[in-house]
This record gives sequence, structure tokens and C-alpha cells, in this order.
Amino acid sequence: MSILYDEGQQAIATESRRALEARMRKDDLLPLLEVTGRFHEGFWTMAKEQGWTALALPEAYGGLDLGLIELGLIAHQAGRTLSGAPFLTSSFGAAKAIELYGSDAQKARWLPGLAGGDTIGAVAFASGADALPVKPGITFVGDRLDGTLTGVSAAGAANVAVVLAMGADGPVLAIADLTNAERRIVPSFDNSRCVADLHFKETPAEALTAGGSARDAALHILALQAVITAHEQTGGAEALMEIARDYAITRRAFGQVIGAFQSVKHRIAELYGLVELARANCIHAASREGQDDFITAAAAARLSATEAYDTAARDCVQIHGGIGVTWEIGLHLHMRRSRSLAIEQGNSLFWEDVMVDRLAGEAA
Amino acid sequence: MSDLETYRAKAAAWLETMVPDFGRDARQGLSEADDLALGRRYQKAKFDAGYAGINWPVEYGGQGLGHLEKISFDAEEMKHGFPNFYFGISLGMPVPILMQFGGDKAFVKERVLKALKGEEIWCQLFSEPAAGSDLAGLRTKAEADGNGWKINGQKVWTSWAHYSDYGVIVVRTDPNVPKHKGLTYFWVDMKAPGVTVRQIKLAGGDSHVNEVFFDDVKIGDDHRMSPVGGGFAVAIATLMIERYVATDSAGFGPHLDLFVELAKEIEINGKPAIEDGRIRQQIARNHAMRAGLDSINVRARLMMEAGMIPGAEGSLNKLVAVRSRQKLSELAIDLRGSDGFAFDEHASQREDWTSSWINAPTGRIAGGSDETLLNTIAEKVLGLPQDHRPDKGVPFNEIPV
Repeated sequence: MSILYDEGQQAIATESRRALEARMRKDDLLPLLEVTGRFHEGFWTMAKEQGWTALALPEAYGGLDLGLIELGLIAHQAGRTLSGAPFLTSSFGAAKAIELYGSDAQKARWLPGLAGGDTIGAVAFASGADALPVKPGITFVGDRLDGTLTGVSAAGAANVAVVLAMGADGPVLAIADLTNAERRIVPSFDNSRCVADLHFKETPAEALTAGGSARDAALHILALQAVITAHEQTGGAEALMEIARDYAITRRAFGQVIGAFQSVKHRIAELYGLVELARANCIHAASREGQDDFITAAAAARLSATEAYDTAARDCVQIHGGIGVTWEIGLHLHMRRSRSLAIEQGNSLFWEDVMVDRLAGEAA
Repeated sequence: MSDLETYRAKAAAWLETMVPDFGRDARQGLSEADDLALGRRYQKAKFDAGYAGINWPVEYGGQGLGHLEKISFDAEEMKHGFPNFYFGISLGMPVPILMQFGGDKAFVKERVLKALKGEEIWCQLFSEPAAGSDLAGLRTKAEADGNGWKINGQKVWTSWAHYSDYGVIVVRTDPNVPKHKGLTYFWVDMKAPGVTVRQIKLAGGDSHVNEVFFDDVKIGDDHRMSPVGGGFAVAIATLMIERYVATDSAGFGPHLDLFVELAKEIEINGKPAIEDGRIRQQIARNHAMRAGLDSINVRARLMMEAGMIPGAEGSLNKLVAVRSRQKLSELAIDLRGSDGFAFDEHASQREDWTSSWINAPTGRIAGGSDETLLNTIAEKVLGLPQDHRPDKGVPFNEIPV
């Protein structure tokens, strides 16, 4: 089953698009590439003011009780205009982990701040190429975390992190206050993602869930985030397709606009196909939260959205020719973002395996 | 259950009762003549049960229901391999267009009823050797002849012409005006003197398409279904009817489950192929693509139910699905290695990867080639310009050859 957006959902899309297009400027985003540890403050202020941080969280903790469909719509628009920080997804993931697996005390401590946007969350499950390790590389012993997590998006600015650690009896989904944790910013090709390594050394932490269910819980959080990221990727791909189209109907060569050449127009029409498949998978996945096939639907959304954004970034630059590779035109903002989003929340290789395990009936 | 779900369940139950007489197994080993005869009986059974002309007007023998009921029935029917393809074109385009544009209502009604019962078959005479994607470039001509017309020329790729009783045809009636403006639309009697049908054997071995030659074929002006010079608009209307046919994210090839089963059975380097990363990637990519199309199609249905017009993304179905079916079929043959040589030209394209592979090119060409579909998306959806067209605005007989 899939869905049609209702009037309220369409209004969320329209309103967030209006707000983002009025606020987000290429000229503000370009300088962020050349510094580390900084994000677009205006973007995050707007996310708080518009209630996007609260959107998908429970009302009891300052949320608006909406879900993946609505947050996905915001993420799509944020992807179109290049969101200025990764927290829409990272804080949401951290908050959902606490909401779904935390105690009342943990919820009361963290969720109001996350819903208000003053607390920033990060989710750190990956160990290098392994998005969801069976044996996590950090340890959780005696309510203390030890070890290093590398390349964590949002960690450069986050106040709290949800991690997967190795406990005495297997994996533990744990939450750590990052106030006193050591973090080292990773200089990146997309610096506003605030990527950092987290170095835990007897860092106080609390378990959310432990044992056999911890890795399943982590996969579920990853899938929720993947659906939001897929919307963001689809928005980026859609914007690039439109930019390519607009350029192709104005730029002239050999006596006609270049969009009249099939090598160019077919390239753009193929992008349309990729964008619409990604959009369809996103809408479907967002409507399947809580159903048996949610993980498979999330994987489909993630795979098609990554393919759409990567391809759109490649082809949009190509269609522009020389001007496309200049710093000033800023297409590289999308190029960079398409790759940073491709490796956040598990890369395509990871989601291919997750999907095929399920299609082949090998899932636990 | 919604009314539509109830309808679909009832149709599915009725179709089940047809399986012993008309299903895949009942057709095994039949000659084409016997299979067609079986098909005619199946079509009659559909008519009697109220499943022929589902979305056609009651006055013409239809059921007066909506496109959704039609699509639901088709999707259920598709599962059983019934001998219905002889009537697919006939009831899909020529006969509906006859209802819309045919002049003599009594004649039209008689034809429509016979077509619905499977007693008569209609074909669609559009493509020519020099006019495929460029339909308006066709050369078959009709000249004024007394009170009627005289047709000379050749059509090609005409499905089921060798079994057809009638056909609809687009011909050139004026070569002195630009190509789109000199066309006129008629129906013809396929048994008339001067009509010669010659089957074409296709790469996969089957011969359902034909060349059709017209040598001084005389027809009355009452066969005309468009204004003189107004045939192109009716031709486009004919092609637009296809919007409401059932779609299939498998590209009318095998379901992905069959590929997964194959990958579980076959070993690569001593391990099941399903554990091989290259195979897993293709399964995942194909599933993501098919799931996307399924979601597009579900939303199109929901929009129709809500009285809205489905979005343009529905135009991706054939383009995306058939192309990937072709590649996946190649991989399935690869997977079987030396066992992949075996070939049964009568195997179903929906169940056999080799049959799916060898017939896939037809799917990418017929009913709008990949390139034509990409042009349509680029121009109609994205607002990109038309290609350079040297024949634009030029009288047909002055177009450089």
C-alpha cells in the first residue's frame, strides 16, 4: 500500500518549501565548506521555530505527534535547498531511540530538549565500512563507554549520542551525554555535516536496550533515519533535475538550445525516472512504519534515492559543462551532499544486503 | 472491503473457475488454431459472465463500470495465462475507437458485440516500413474513387492481422500538405479483395505480427472515421486509450521471486548464488525499481478512485520495467551457465527467463520505443524542446528523402 498526501501534509510541504527558499542561500553555504565544526545557524533556528524538530516526537514530551510522512516532506524540501545541518535526521534518530527503548526517566531527561531543538542528537552505530557491526568496536561496561567511533555525522555539535556498544552479554544500545566526551572534528568534503570522531574513555552512559534485541533496535532506528535521508536525497535530486532542465532550455550551442539535443534531453528525462522512482519508494516507506515490510521498504527508498541523487549530481554538472565545475555556481554543494548522504545511515551495500536477506527469507 | 475490493475478489473467484478449461495447463501443446478456438470460447465465457467490455457503455454490450474495475480484473486475469492475447489489440484500441468515431451506429453495435464475444477480431493498421515512431510519415495512400476511396500501400507489424476480420487504418489522402495534415482514418474489411496478409516470424520464433498489402482496395466513404485530413487526431486518440491498461512492474516478464529462487538453487564457487554480492546487488536494485513502480501504480489507482488524474510518472512503467527485465533475463541465463542453452520457444515470457530475454526487445520497441518515451517525458513533462525536425511544416511530397 502507498498513500496520497492529505491536505495537511501538502500544506507542510508548501510551507516548509516557502520558508527554506526564502532563507537558504548558496552564498551562505559555500563558506561553510571551508571551515570545520560549523553549521548553518539560520537553518537550525528555522527548524526550531517552524517546529520541525518537534514534528515526529510524542506530544507528552513537547512533540507534535506526527510521523515519518510529515518529517519526510520537510526533509525533501530541505534536500532541495541543501539543508545547512544534519540534525533534522540525527536528532530525530536519537530521539526515536530514546522514545522507543528508553525509560520514562530517560525520555523525560532528553526528549523535551530534542523536540525543542536546543539539544542536538547524534546516532553512531557504524564501525568504518560496517554500518551495523555484529560485534561493536566500543565497550559498555559498568555504565561506562570506552573506545572510538569514527566519522559520526553531527557529532561535532551534538549534546547526546545513541551508540551501539559491546556489553558483557552482547550488544547494547546505549545513550551518552557528550558534554565531557572527547571529540575530534574530521575535516570533510561536506563540513557542515559536523562529522567528528568520538573518543570515549570511561564516559558515563546508560543502556536503552541490551542483548539480542539491541541490534534489531539499532537497525530499526537506522531504517527510520534512512527513510528521512532518502527524502532529503530525493529532494536534492529533484532540484538538480530542475536546474539541469533550466540550463538546457537557455544555454545555446550549434545554433539551438542544448536541451534540443537528445544526448542532453534524454539524460534529463532519465533523471526524471530516477527521481520519481525514489519519490514513490519514499512515500511508500514512510507509510509502512510499524508494518512487517518496513525495513525492506526503507531499504528500497534508500537505494533508489542514493542512485537518484548521485546520478543527478553527476549529470547536472556534466550538462553544465565548464561552468558546472566552478566554485561559484555551487553545483558542487549538491555533489558533496549527495556523497555525504550516501554514506550516512548505512551505504548502499549495507541496504542491499539488508533487503536481500529479507527477500530471500534469511532475516532473523 | 471497499466496493472495488469486493469486485476484485469476485472476479478472482470467477477466474479460478475458468482455470481448468482455459488456464496455462489446458493450453499445453495446442496448435495455434486450436488455441485461438479455445480463446474464442474463453472470450465468450467472459462475455456471458459480464467480464467483457467492463468499462464500456452498456448500450454496446459493455458493463458500464470504471477503469478501476477493468484494471483490477486485468491484473487478476494476468495470473493464469488464459488465451486472451488474440483479443488484446482488438478490444484494446480499434473497437473502442470504432465506438467513438464510427458513423453507422447499428453497424458499429453489431461489430462491437461480435468482437466482445470473440467472434470477430480487429487489427490496427498504423506502422509502415518507413513510418514507425514517425507515424505521420506514413505513405499508404487513399485516393478518391467515385463516391469512395481506393487504398494502395503497405502496413507492417500488424498484430493478429492474419486472424482479423476488420481493421482500422490511417492513410495519406493529401501529399501536398505537411505530413500530419494529409492523413485520414478509415476502417477496412480485412477480407476485401486486394488485401494480402503475410505473417512475419519474429526473432523469438512466434509469428503474431504481419505485413499487410493493399492493392487497389476499394472502400465506401462510409468507412471514414475522421474528417478528410483529420486522421492524425483520431490516431492519437487511439494510442491514448492505452493509458488505462494494467501495468506490470516485472515488464511482463518473470516475477523477481523466480530470480531469487533460481539464485538459491544455483551455486557459484561452491556457494549458493544468493550469497554472491554481484547477484545480491542485482536482486536489490531490481526490487527497489519494481517497488518504486508498484508504488507509482498504487498511487495512480488511489488518484483515480479520488476522481483525480494520475501523475505523469505513470509513463515510466514500460520504459523502466522492460529495460530492466531484459538485463535481468540475461543475468538469469548467465547464472545457469552451460545449462542456460536450453530453449523452449513456446515457454511463457512470464515464467521462463530465456523466453523473457529473447522477446524483451519487442517490448522496448512496440507501443512507443524507449527513445520515443524519453522524448515524450522530456517534452511533455519537463518542457524541453522538440528535436530538430527538417520535415516540420514542409508539404509531405517535398520532404527530402
